[in-house]
Amino acid sequence: MNIGLVAIGAALCLLSCAAAGLSMGLATGKAVDAVARQPEASGKINSILLLGLALTESTAIYGFVSALIMMFTLGA
Amino acid sequence: MTGSETVTLAIVLGSLVLAVLCFFWRRKLVQKLNAQEEPDKKTKRKKLWATILMVAMGWLFATQLLTFLFGPAEGEGLHVEIAASRVELLGFSVSSTVITTWIAMGGILLGALAIRLFLIPRMKDQPRGLQNVLEIAVESVSKYTDEKSGHLGENLAAYIFSVATLMIGCAVIELFGVRAPTADITMTFAMALITFILINYYGIKKKGVGGRIKSLADPTPVVLPLRMISDIAVPVSLACRLFGNMLGGMIVMDLLYSAMGNLAVGVPSLVGLYFNAFHPLIQAYIFVTLTLTFINEAVE
Repeated sequence: MNIGLVAIGAALCLLSCAAAGLSMGLATGKAVDAVARQPEASGKINSILLLGLALTESTAIYGFVSALIMMFTLGA
Repeated sequence: MTGSETVTLAIVLGSLVLAVLCFFWRRKLVQKLNAQEEPDKKTKRKKLWATILMVAMGWLFATQLLTFLFGPAEGEGLHVEIAASRVELLGFSVSSTVITTWIAMGGILLGALAIRLFLIPRMKDQPRGLQNVLEIAVESVSKYTDEKSGHLGENLAAYIFSVATLMIGCAVIELFGVRAPTADITMTFAMALITFILINYYGIKKKGVGGRIKSLADPTPVVLPLRMISDIAVPVSLACRLFGNMLGGMIVMDLLYSAMGNLAVGVPSLVGLYFNAFHPLIQAYIFVTLTLTFINEAVE
């Protein structure tokens, strides 16, 4: 299979990172707003934020792993 | 000696001399700063310059010494394999990460044995030193497990502690240059499979087999296939998340080493402070949190 097409396919896989970055930035902004509104709850907000960020980042990781598998099993 | 070798030798000797001179200059400045009551800005700025120059000359000395002794680095490409290399062991073909995991497990077991033999008979009522660290670690994991799913017993907290220690041990093994065991899809899939078995075990123990299946068909029985598929997606996503994160860190460190060649003396350890020390801790925390969350969801 043509290595150029495989490379384009792998690059298309990684567009999910843009969506993940955007959503994680929005979530962190809301978390900062919430802590500014009520600083005593910052421990709970911190743990909820970390959990949400890790779950959202996993979609970017799915794209990355798919691109890697594409490059290494389809490429010559 | 060829021309470039002479230049390298000159840089080695020159940077060594400059580094030693800067060290003595900095020591004199520090003594002068300690003698004053309020340190003035000019001496502080000179001390900063002396420190920067000393570190830079030390780095130059180390890298040029490597180039002088071993020759310039060959420009080889970056080779990344997704699956770890396999070795032959007693007729089976196993991954090399299995051997690495055994080494990590052996280290952790030896540490535990040493603590059991030497520390526990000497525990006092007022802890100090290593006993303090041990108590903080066990208590924080125990409290964290209790606040998420405390009614399931203490064995769950013990299992979570051992899984977290294994992941930290794998991150420490990566500092020695071998491939981290958690950067292998088979190892992370095994850990996620244990989580899957635990989720179903606690669910069936609490509700029975029929009750567990009925809880999957909660609002209407139409969603039963969808909930089953999303139940299977849980261990797959756990495995892929841990594997992808560790593999990404390994690829970035490999890229850094292969791009800097002989100049990679002090800088990779700064970058490695994030990728080899901090990132695996965060991923271990996420793995533990998600395991407890899903177990809690299956029991309530």
